[in-house]
Amino acid sequence: MVDYKLLVPQFLLAGLAFGLLALDLVLPPARRRYIAYLGALGLVGIVLSTISLRGQEAALYGGLFLIDNYALFFQGLFLVMGAVILLAAEDHVRKFLGHAGEYYGLVVVAVLAMTVMTSAGELLTAYIALELLSFTFYVLSAYATRDLRSNEAGVKYILLGAFSSALLLYGISLIYGATGTTYFRGIAGAVGGTLSPGLLLGLVLLIAGFAFKAAAVPFHMWAPDVYEGAPLPTTAYLSVAAKAAVFGLLLRLFSQGLLPAIEVWRWVIVALAAASITVGNLVAIPQTNIKRLLAYSSIGQAGYLLVGLAALSPQAVSGVLVHLAGYAATNLLAFTAVIAYYNETGHEQIEDFAGAAERAPYLALLLTIAMFSLAGLPFFAGFTTKFYLFTAAAQEGLLWLVGLAAAMSVVSLYYYLMVIKQMYIHPSRHSPRLRPGFVLTGVLGVLAFAVVAIGVYPGPLVRFIETASKGLFS
Amino acid sequence: MIPVSAYLAVSALLFSIGMYGVLARRNAVLILMSIELMLNAVNINLVAFSRYLAPGEFTGLVFAVFVITVAAAEVGLALAIIIRLYRNRATVNVDEIDLLKW
Repeated sequence: MVDYKLLVPQFLLAGLAFGLLALDLVLPPARRRYIAYLGALGLVGIVLSTISLRGQEAALYGGLFLIDNYALFFQGLFLVMGAVILLAAEDHVRKFLGHAGEYYGLVVVAVLAMTVMTSAGELLTAYIALELLSFTFYVLSAYATRDLRSNEAGVKYILLGAFSSALLLYGISLIYGATGTTYFRGIAGAVGGTLSPGLLLGLVLLIAGFAFKAAAVPFHMWAPDVYEGAPLPTTAYLSVAAKAAVFGLLLRLFSQGLLPAIEVWRWVIVALAAASITVGNLVAIPQTNIKRLLAYSSIGQAGYLLVGLAALSPQAVSGVLVHLAGYAATNLLAFTAVIAYYNETGHEQIEDFAGAAERAPYLALLLTIAMFSLAGLPFFAGFTTKFYLFTAAAQEGLLWLVGLAAAMSVVSLYYYLMVIKQMYIHPSRHSPRLRPGFVLTGVLGVLAFAVVAIGVYPGPLVRFIETASKGLFS
Repeated sequence: MIPVSAYLAVSALLFSIGMYGVLARRNAVLILMSIELMLNAVNINLVAFSRYLAPGEFTGLVFAVFVITVAAAEVGLALAIIIRLYRNRATVNVDEIDLLKW
């Protein structure tokens, strides 16, 4: 008998998503902004039901769906991210996009998909959740129907996304053929130190498919184009939430299913990590569009997260989770500031940020905080979480990779500083002051507080995450 | 009885043809059809493994049914997005879709 109490957050999420879609039909256009506020309120309410489940351990539907602290940590993270995106997107959707209720509804569907992804204990469940997530993002990327760049982003994303799904599925079918099961724990029982050729090929295709979804080099080609072409709130959501969900799934799959074969696949992940860190950070330097710059920066960040996946000790998993939380707060802060700037000016080139410090001192300051945190300067989330992650990876003997990651973090400071230089040193070509709405201002303030709080006092977060990642290995 | 390797060979061939199509075709709709070939290769694999490895269980068959369903939804969504592009640009050639530099 399934204990439905444990699935309350998922039921509420599905209800909320359809409720928001229905509200779009009922409310007159002038009132549609309240759909976003209501959605954010609903998501924060569902966080309470997630919190009430903490400490629970259960395998529902014969192990298809797992509830543990690990899944609940991600659930909380995704719900908060969804609420932030709804509030950050409202102004942008009203000014530049149509069909507000559908946009907000899809954002909530994506949250549902991600919570299922990190709870999946079996490959079919994981695949369905991954596809649900991808489908919502295909639609959200192509959402500006009259914008040619958004059309193009949508086509490129869905073609390459479907291609990567096919690779992933072929890998899954070979793994099923070699092990006779699709359960993560069952796979762990069937693999050993050496793998049969079929299983090896399956594993390589599986990793390639997931590397596409996580935008790791050399499977990253879609990311800069989609990030640049998609509407800004979609890009923000894609860069933090989709990445966190893929890593949430990967960590569970690798630690519960593929840990016995770690010596076989570790070097593949190490190669992906090294390539992502190097290419992401170096190609970011010549970029002129802020979305594209942040796209390459997020490819570099995926590389840092892969370092933790390659290490795969309980400590390293905690490192990845801590870094994901810090990165989510930081990147959402950066994107929300860019959204606020874009809503007022309609520009997204880095040179258009010239003089932002005079026109919008608050936005410029918060974007600076976000850039410093992304680069990993002390007192901000980026430093603390990277330090924690790299220490854990170094303990597993990945010293040269950690050295490369640290060196490339220094390189990344260069292109983040270029943005700050535009805002503070170059004179403005336009003079009027910008006044972002008070909802956006409030969201920015909360995110900036989170970035500094995680940077200065990460203790409580780290303690909870450590219990979560220990449960993954028991 | 036909050995399982025969099914795997057909599936691998179909997958390779699909992959060639994705990489070589320049028409977005044909790329989509090539992806469908790859997904059908997956289905052949799943059904063959299910039949030969565990005849009493349905894991592979259920998986194949879900793959078919998801693939149908994917095609619907992809065609909708491609039609939107076609209305604005009057082309579905992926080489001409180059506003965003690679």
